[in-house]
Amino acid sequence: MIVRQTAALLVDAYRELNAKKLFWITMLLSGVIVLVMAALGIDKDGVSFLGWDLSFIPINSDTLKPDVFYKTLFSNLGIGVWLSWAATILALISTAGTIPDLISGGAIETLLSKPISRIRLFLTKYAAGLLFVALQVFVFSLGSFLVFGLRAGLWEPALFLAVPIVVVFFSYLFCVCALIGLLTRSTITSLLVTILFWFMLFILNAGDATLTQFRTMHEMMIDKEQARIELMEKNTAKVLREQRERDGEPVEGWTPTHDEIIAANPFLRTIADRQQRREKDLQELRFWSDLVYGIKTTLPKTNETIALLERNLIDLSDLPMPSGETQDISIEDDDVQIDPGELSKAVQEKFRSRPVWWVVGTSLGFEAFVLGVCCLIFARRDF
Amino acid sequence: MTGLAIDITGAAKTYRGKVRALRGVDMRVHRGEVFGLLGPNGAGKSTLVKILMTVIRPTKCRGTMLGRPVGEKKTLARVGYLPEHHRFPGYLKGWQVLDFYGAMAGVPRRERKKRTGELLELVGMGEWRNKRIKQYSKGMRQRVGLAQALMNDPELVLLDEPTDGVDPVGRRDIRGICQRLKDEGRTVFINSHLLSELEMVCDRVAILVQGEVARQGTIDELTAGQRYYAVDLADAASAGEIAGAVGGRFDRGVRVEGATIVLPTTEPARVQPVIDEIRKRGETIVSVRLRKPSLEDLFMQAVTDPTTGDVLTPGAAGAGKADKGNKRGRP
Repeated sequence: MIVRQTAALLVDAYRELNAKKLFWITMLLSGVIVLVMAALGIDKDGVSFLGWDLSFIPINSDTLKPDVFYKTLFSNLGIGVWLSWAATILALISTAGTIPDLISGGAIETLLSKPISRIRLFLTKYAAGLLFVALQVFVFSLGSFLVFGLRAGLWEPALFLAVPIVVVFFSYLFCVCALIGLLTRSTITSLLVTILFWFMLFILNAGDATLTQFRTMHEMMIDKEQARIELMEKNTAKVLREQRERDGEPVEGWTPTHDEIIAANPFLRTIADRQQRREKDLQELRFWSDLVYGIKTTLPKTNETIALLERNLIDLSDLPMPSGETQDISIEDDDVQIDPGELSKAVQEKFRSRPVWWVVGTSLGFEAFVLGVCCLIFARRDF
Repeated sequence: MTGLAIDITGAAKTYRGKVRALRGVDMRVHRGEVFGLLGPNGAGKSTLVKILMTVIRPTKCRGTMLGRPVGEKKTLARVGYLPEHHRFPGYLKGWQVLDFYGAMAGVPRRERKKRTGELLELVGMGEWRNKRIKQYSKGMRQRVGLAQALMNDPELVLLDEPTDGVDPVGRRDIRGICQRLKDEGRTVFINSHLLSELEMVCDRVAILVQGEVARQGTIDELTAGQRYYAVDLADAASAGEIAGAVGGRFDRGVRVEGATIVLPTTEPARVQPVIDEIRKRGETIVSVRLRKPSLEDLFMQAVTDPTTGDVLTPGAAGAGKADKGNKRGRP
């Protein structure tokens, strides 16, 4: 009975999708993106599109291996831009009506009169709503898998990891959509509130990224400055020892005190003061960064979830470093400079070091909570 | 099969805002009968049916449906239901509606395939099986809805306004289907406004007024003590005079309705002197009939305040409040 009813609900969801023009438009656009990726090539001369050289793109197969090029393309363009943004908006538009349609007068009575528990009915309908995205991503991954295999000999089954990752990512938003749909019975309201919620997560992620970048930059500067201070202290101590030796005083077993070093090299005091200021700033940055991290722990981590694909597909060491022409970055009135390539890599490493259980587990925890509320409302409501 | 298909006691439902849709309904529906539930808008008819189908949670309800406690989901596999104002997804074709809801009712695939064809033919929609629901008229949707309710070969069928939007031919067909279901030993529970329809097909009825059962029983039981003889004259002018002359022979008096003299008796012997009196006066008798109140008469009696003679306000809550369904435009 359970299998029969679940199968019926899934088949019904497929029929509903099949009847929606937007589903096929999205599928068509996915095909276009796959074809665009297929048309891009990389060799020693650089990147080409349908044979035309795109010389303004400063990479070639020496700086970026072809397989990494295609994986990056898939991860950044296919998933990062298309599936996790544009296609997600289209999917939300298509599926926002799932729950309001389910509970609309005239439809819900017939379903509730069948021998299926309300919670199972709701959860199966919810899962069926994810079918839109699952089918889209599967077809997109399959297309990419075939194109990359035929085009570059890259037969990478890990591309199919996109299916669970994007579905899980979409489900974070869809659960909010379902809750609002259940509360308001309105497709438009649930769509708008979900997009607003997504925008809020985007702002939070942007804040997290900015704070993490500043925090990492400060940590790097402090480390760099600390190394400079230690070197200067060592040199100053050496000069003081040499001076003492020249003055005929015994140097065996003698080391200058910190005050003596500072007195000999007043610039060290300036640097030490600046270092102290940096540490104070870092402390403040840590507070805000930890606060945002804490808030994010309770909410869905959309960016990190999508980034899991890149984490699994591409090794950080395979990615090219920014070219040496890029100017070093520094804070105003500060002479310690950081290489942007190193900073970018350190930030990426920091994000990549966030455990999968934190990224997916806590996000699913949020989803489970929202679905729990939905089930409670759905099970107790009179229709 | 013997026993009761529905046996409920004290069914009550109070919506938020203290709107009392049902105020303790007791109802018994025997297996194998066609039972009619009638009542004015907002009387709580749909609420009662929805409680039986687990669409609405009752505030209080003791009892059984097909021998199992009301509210038990498993029992619904043996029950068919046609909701009022049902709406099937427009993208489904006729046969897909039956297949989908059949699967939801737990009917195996092979049986669904067989029953889909049979039932679409039964409701006269065989030629429309491959057309999408959005192309159907209201009457056609109602026919498919009825077929859907029968997909699981139910022991009990609850039909909420089954003839709503259906043309006279369709109504006759639906009456025929109800009769056929009864002949097959199934129980049919019909919730309808169309009293003449119910009168033609129902074995027993219950009249629900303001959330309570006002009357319940067979039409004969409900009309017992209310039968009378009616003598129709060709000329209405002398009817009043004759009534005055024979009135003393009857305890409850004689009434005149146009050219008809209403005699409060069911005994033919007591009518004879009245006929003699009419003949003596040279008046023409058109007909002499033993009449009983129609279901409409019973209904009007039930919804009329006996003290004021006013029709009771719609809704079960009183104080001018309609029930929750009514607020959404549903009775």
